[in-house]
Amino acid sequence: MEVIINKESNVSTVRLIGRLDTPASQDVAQELEPLMADASGTIVLDCSEMGYISSSGLRIFLSLRKAAASRGGKVIVRNISDDIRQVFMMTGFLNLFEIE
Amino acid sequence: MDVNESIKATVRKRTSAGLMLIIVAAVTLEATTLIQYFFSQRALRQEASLRAESELRATRNYIMDIVDQAESAVNNSAWITRLCLDYPDSIAVVARRIVEENPAVMGSSIALVPGYNPKRPLFSPYVFRTADGGTELKSLATPEYDYPSQEWFTEPLKYGIGYWSEPYIDTGGGDALMTTYSVPITDDDGRIAAVLTADLSLDWLTELVGNVRVYPGAYSVLISREGTIMVSPMETLNMHQSIRDYAKQATDTANFNRMADLMLSGKTGNVSLSRKRRQKTFVFFAPVERTGWSMAIVIPDNEIFREIRRMGRLVNFLTLVGLAMLVLILRSAARSSTRFHELNEKKDRMENELRIGHNIQMSMIPKTFPPFPERKDIDISATLVPAKEVGGDLYDFYIRDEKLFFCIGDVSGKGVPASLVMAVTRSLFRTISNHEKSPQRIVTLLNESMTDMNENNMFVTFFCGVLDMITGHMRYCNAGHNPPVLLSDRVRELPVFPNLPLGIMQGMSFREQETDLSCDDTLFLYTDGVTEAENVSSEQFGQARMLSVLLEHRDAQGQLESMQKAVSDFVGEAAPSDDLTMLIIHYLNDMQADVTERHLILHNDIQQIPQLAEFIETIADEKSLDQALAMSLNLALEEAVTNVILYAYPEGSDGLVDIEAILGAEKLTFIISDSGIPFDPTAAPEADVTLGVEERPIGGLGIYLVRNIMDTVSYERVDGKNVLTLTKII
Repeated sequence: MEVIINKESNVSTVRLIGRLDTPASQDVAQELEPLMADASGTIVLDCSEMGYISSSGLRIFLSLRKAAASRGGKVIVRNISDDIRQVFMMTGFLNLFEIE
Repeated sequence: MDVNESIKATVRKRTSAGLMLIIVAAVTLEATTLIQYFFSQRALRQEASLRAESELRATRNYIMDIVDQAESAVNNSAWITRLCLDYPDSIAVVARRIVEENPAVMGSSIALVPGYNPKRPLFSPYVFRTADGGTELKSLATPEYDYPSQEWFTEPLKYGIGYWSEPYIDTGGGDALMTTYSVPITDDDGRIAAVLTADLSLDWLTELVGNVRVYPGAYSVLISREGTIMVSPMETLNMHQSIRDYAKQATDTANFNRMADLMLSGKTGNVSLSRKRRQKTFVFFAPVERTGWSMAIVIPDNEIFREIRRMGRLVNFLTLVGLAMLVLILRSAARSSTRFHELNEKKDRMENELRIGHNIQMSMIPKTFPPFPERKDIDISATLVPAKEVGGDLYDFYIRDEKLFFCIGDVSGKGVPASLVMAVTRSLFRTISNHEKSPQRIVTLLNESMTDMNENNMFVTFFCGVLDMITGHMRYCNAGHNPPVLLSDRVRELPVFPNLPLGIMQGMSFREQETDLSCDDTLFLYTDGVTEAENVSSEQFGQARMLSVLLEHRDAQGQLESMQKAVSDFVGEAAPSDDLTMLIIHYLNDMQADVTERHLILHNDIQQIPQLAEFIETIADEKSLDQALAMSLNLALEEAVTNVILYAYPEGSDGLVDIEAILGAEKLTFIISDSGIPFDPTAAPEADVTLGVEERPIGGLGIYLVRNIMDTVSYERVDGKNVLTLTKII
């Protein structure tokens, strides 16, 4: 999985490309570590190129959301596929995130 | 009115009916006794009367005999006395002859009418018997005696015929009771010249009359013409008191006087006199002709009726005893009828309770058939008919996680105790099998529980099976039950290890077996109530008959019905000897034909997860699954397998994850197994997806997703492996 982080002033856009399965999540978690530490701004998770997410991927999303919440920032999930929306719905994540 | 009241009322009714019965019996008996008494009394009185009259007649005849003798002696001497009138000195000779020739005559005299013989104005020689048997002569013509004024002289002259004097005590001859018969003697000219007498001793009379005793306690009385009591048992009265005087002091004076009148007027008859203490006396009397006497026989009624009264008392006593016994019998009958009533009540209650027990028992086993109408892969029919209201047989089945759990059992013994054990066994089966999938485990745990509390040494033969509905794989464990019959391409008994029944020994190890069922296979489970059903000739239904009936039908319901009919026809009128239980499982998973299997083995390395994705993708292609479904399957499988990879094996150790996919036309089954530490992911608590960001835990979503995506998720530990089975209907 490829992760591209683009930071513009207060907004960090994270492009997630590929499958966010369990092994991928371990790498992604490391790459997003700096964002977690500084979550006061807006984090946009661009899922347009993400075809799959496992529970470990969801865990990363949730961790980011928690970090943002504690630091006054916010997390926006953008362009999720219908399949992943289904997973979000199933897990109650639709209510936890701002989804565009 | 409650039941108690109604029992009491019934008892009261019965008691009063009993009382009526006793009263009727008493009245009847008493009336019978009285009637008998009355008639007996009358008969006895008649008999007494006859006896008295006959005694009176006999005694009178005896007296008359002697009276006749005396009269004859006197009358026969009348003519010679007449001859002697002119020769007074020879008169004494006549008197002496009378005395000598008649032993009853104690003395005799001839007394000339004063003035008849001028030479002898008063002349009366008297010859009497002396104590030594001789005779003596003396003259009665003394101024002191003055014979012309004596009754024996005056009376015959007055009437001109023979006359019996009033009896008297002869003071001259030694206080003897005497009477004198005197006749007037006329001379040739028809003039009354003299009176000829004979003194008759009445000593014999006392003895004679005293001996007349018709009854013990009865006595006779002789009274004279004037009413003087001559002879009676009351010696002080004799010759001292008249019957009239006596009547004055009698209890029943009026009747006594009436009787005295009758007697003194020479009548024959009888009277009844009241006495003291409500007793009565019967007096029978008859005259003794010529003498003017009257003789009476006095019989106290208690003498007449002594026997009958004794008998009456006896009868009364017996009646009382009989009535007392009747009372006792009625009371015990009433009591036993009350007891009977109570027993009936108890029986009703018990029957009612048994009926409830029956219903409870029946509600414990599945009895709606077909049990899974929505399923096409299984057909089940079953029956349980207890020999009594409740029985010790059981069967049960249910489907959990695409596995059919089923069992059949037979508790030793019958009736209520067996039914209780049956209920316990069935409950334990449900409880234990709810988290155990191994029949061996289920049976072992059942045995542990049951031996633990088995104080009555009841045991249960038990067969338990778990049929994987997807694969047809069946694992089973037998505990002393008769082997089920497997109808496949051929009919055979399922091979079973006998093992010991449940409840016999703690710590028993039971061996499990397995087999595979094909589509259209039937498993026929039964208790020995089927094969051992007996007809009136005590023949058993037997296995051969059972097998041939089984082959008649292919469907479970048809087999069950024909078996029930066959057994019932065979048994006929005979009483059911044992509970009759059958469980028929018809396996119909026709998906097996186009089932494909895929297999993937992964190491416990998280980097192998993409292989799983590929594996799922291949399956999705093969089954032409849409993208969304493919992704969900991938997600569920990944979560399940990740769990194993991350947690099943200790860190750093190598382990494998086996993923088996069984792909049917309508259902996909994934069996994930590993040899890691026992871990049941399904036991984890359900994640709460409604929580907010702050409260939401980071983990716990994996198994949640598995559960949500798959149709069934089941875990079991088999042969040292964790086995997680996931199915998805497509």
